[in-house]
Amino acid sequence: MNKKFLILGTIVIIIAVAIFASSSTPETVNLDITRTHGTISTSMGSPILGNPSAPITIVEFGDYQCHQCYNWYHNTKPSITREYIDTGKVNLVFVDLAFLGNDSPKAAQASYCAEDQGLYWDYHDLLYNSQEPEIDGGWANSERLKAFAFSLGLDMNLFNSCLDSEKYSKRVQYNIQQAHEHGVKGTPGFFIVSSDEQQQIRGAQPFTVFKQILDPMI
Amino acid sequence: MIQTIKLVFSNLTYLIISFTIFVSMLIVLLILSEYVFLEPYVVSHLPPGTEFGFLLIVTLSALSALVIPMNIFRISILKSSKQKMSGSILGSVVGSIAGACSCGPVGFAVISTFGSIGATTTAFLTNYEIPIRLIAIAVLTVTYFTTVKSLKIECKINS
Repeated sequence: MNKKFLILGTIVIIIAVAIFASSSTPETVNLDITRTHGTISTSMGSPILGNPSAPITIVEFGDYQCHQCYNWYHNTKPSITREYIDTGKVNLVFVDLAFLGNDSPKAAQASYCAEDQGLYWDYHDLLYNSQEPEIDGGWANSERLKAFAFSLGLDMNLFNSCLDSEKYSKRVQYNIQQAHEHGVKGTPGFFIVSSDEQQQIRGAQPFTVFKQILDPMI
Repeated sequence: MIQTIKLVFSNLTYLIISFTIFVSMLIVLLILSEYVFLEPYVVSHLPPGTEFGFLLIVTLSALSALVIPMNIFRISILKSSKQKMSGSILGSVVGSIAGACSCGPVGFAVISTFGSIGATTTAFLTNYEIPIRLIAIAVLTVTYFTTVKSLKIECKINS
């Protein structure tokens, strides 16, 4: 009898651990080619960060070489993550508006090469933590993008062939087109999308602005 | 030096011109550099690490508000040449466009309109934003001292 309970208990614990492990990983690979948020097609954008069934989505249009995107990433995003994304109230999708320099589209493509190996958001974070002040100054050239991938422990054969073949060039172009179609004229640009509302925020605005918009929508 | 400033700004018109230049330039530059946002709410924001850039904008606006009215005074009251005016205008314009062409709407518009040339220009103005603003401040400072010097001489001659 005790042996049966022991086996049953072990199975329950294994299942519980498996469920916890899967739910605590915020990254979901973007495989939905019909995915939209409000009027924006985010099908070619990033995987969803946070709870995929959250009632509100922040769609961020950004460039990895943009200083204001860097400011937003470091000053505003942590508070949003802590108060809204980690609590399951809001999720976030990053869509590329890679326009600032020659290295911007390449960096965006590299992020999707990292997504192939399940590390989009780690790579995204690494790029914004490694940004240097000079646009096209070499910090985001192909060699450095590969070095970032190596530091994350990605399979370098897969990553290099993905980046060198420009596998995701059209994906990035599609995202830029989405930005144009929605009147995004600079980075970062945001759309706060709920089931019945869509509000635009221009620029690296502080957390208080996002809070004032998000709270009434929740 | 103080007497020269008093001479110019004792006239209310030049005081108003100076105030208008300072306020309008400060507001425009703060908006372009994303220290102030008008939509969806009016909000000011000074992210950590951008304090020096903010200080340069205030200095640039203050110097422009000091030097431009003094040169207008020279031209209109003393009927002097317009040559020195160009220094103050150049300093103000160069300093203003340095930070405007980043990832914001101005940089985006320049790149969208002029393609790769626009992208190169934007990258240059963004990469060297701080040095360009420092040069603009230096130009305005030199213009200020030369204007004060010439006002002293011209006023003595005219009086």
